[in-house]
Amino acid sequence: MNEIIEITLRSIYVSGLATLLSLSISIPSAYYLSRNSGIARVVIPVFEALIGVPTVFIGLTLYMLLSTRGPLGFLKLLYTPYAIIIGESILVFPLITAVIYRVMHITWVTYGELAITLGANERQTLMLIAKQALPGIIAASIMGFSRAIGELGIALLVGGNIRGYTRVLTTAIALEVSKGSFEVALTLGLILIVTVLSFSALSRVIERWYGL
Amino acid sequence: MTIELRNVWFTYPGLKRWVLRNVNYLFNDNKTYAILGPNGAGKTTLMKLIALLYRPNKGSIITWGYEYWKLPKDRRLSIRRRIVYVHEKSILLKGDVLYNIAFGLIIRGVKRDEALSEALRILKDLNLDYLATRDTSALSMGEAQLISIIRAIIIKPKFLLLDEPLAHIDIDKREAILNMLRMLKRDYGITLIISTHDVSVAKVLADEILVIREGTINKMRQLS
Repeated sequence: MNEIIEITLRSIYVSGLATLLSLSISIPSAYYLSRNSGIARVVIPVFEALIGVPTVFIGLTLYMLLSTRGPLGFLKLLYTPYAIIIGESILVFPLITAVIYRVMHITWVTYGELAITLGANERQTLMLIAKQALPGIIAASIMGFSRAIGELGIALLVGGNIRGYTRVLTTAIALEVSKGSFEVALTLGLILIVTVLSFSALSRVIERWYGL
Repeated sequence: MTIELRNVWFTYPGLKRWVLRNVNYLFNDNKTYAILGPNGAGKTTLMKLIALLYRPNKGSIITWGYEYWKLPKDRRLSIRRRIVYVHEKSILLKGDVLYNIAFGLIIRGVKRDEALSEALRILKDLNLDYLATRDTSALSMGEAQLISIIRAIIIKPKFLLLDEPLAHIDIDKREAILNMLRMLKRDYGITLIISTHDVSVAKVLADEILVIREGTINKMRQLS
């Protein structure tokens, strides 16, 4: 039982950090694209296509980069939770950026001119747009988190499913299925679904709490 | 304190015709201008160019003697902060009326409490303080337009541009807005530039009327 709790908490920690890492780049990227429609017209369709990239492909690419003989092998990140965090943040980046771009584009059309004409500088305009777009940003974050916590390929290839260190819900499910322990696998699957639904519900509570 | 458009040409990306063609006009301070024209004539585009929201494709905009779009960004901000444009359809921020009115002051560095007090004071002066705590989503279109104008005047701009301020407005609120515009003209010393397709509004308020048709200012009339 303790191990299941530990795996669940690790999954939330790893996927949560991956989502936050992606958000830190996605928000300014989406804002920049919402201000530069010419570039967005090229970049956003590419991002939307990348949403469907198999996780195992990202995992394999990252594995080759981080393995001892790879160009980033000196970082010694392979088979650590950090490798999973990096991989999952790469996975969710196109999804989160594309969704936040859509939200920010609409918000910019509505509030961007308003901010400028009322005398906001560049930073204040970004803050206003981000604030007005917050419900959409939260929704994009939940989508990204759900995608990250539910993926298997990256966690398995660059995490290695090491017990007590890199084992997360999806890799634990895969292991239990390979052992024939379908009951445990099903329990872990239910925990995964409940976790995703709980975070989605939490985001709704936050939105209502702050009147978004 | 003037805004001058010199040989201004403008079109939107992807559009294969000019929306404004070779527009020249000098807007002096302490005057009220009305821009008249049918829908699609280019009134809003002209207003947004004067408000420095759009950059002309050709020509220049001279503000306070400087060619605005050639100034460094920090100097542009100080000029931009003296010109406010109020959209035809009111855009209000999420939150209550008081915060919306105080917003322009807050981003100018006025402390939040002071800005909110000033917003309440101006609402009381206009007998609109009953709206102070109301959420913006609960306002009628007329009330929202009034709040948008108050939000603009609280920051004491030199130029206030109002895009069709009486469109979509009920008759009772129409009179309230007209009274406010008369007061702005009389008491605040703000240069008003109002776009409208209503000739009677232009006659009541304007010192000069510009008629825009197919992207050019082709008739100007100075009222006595």
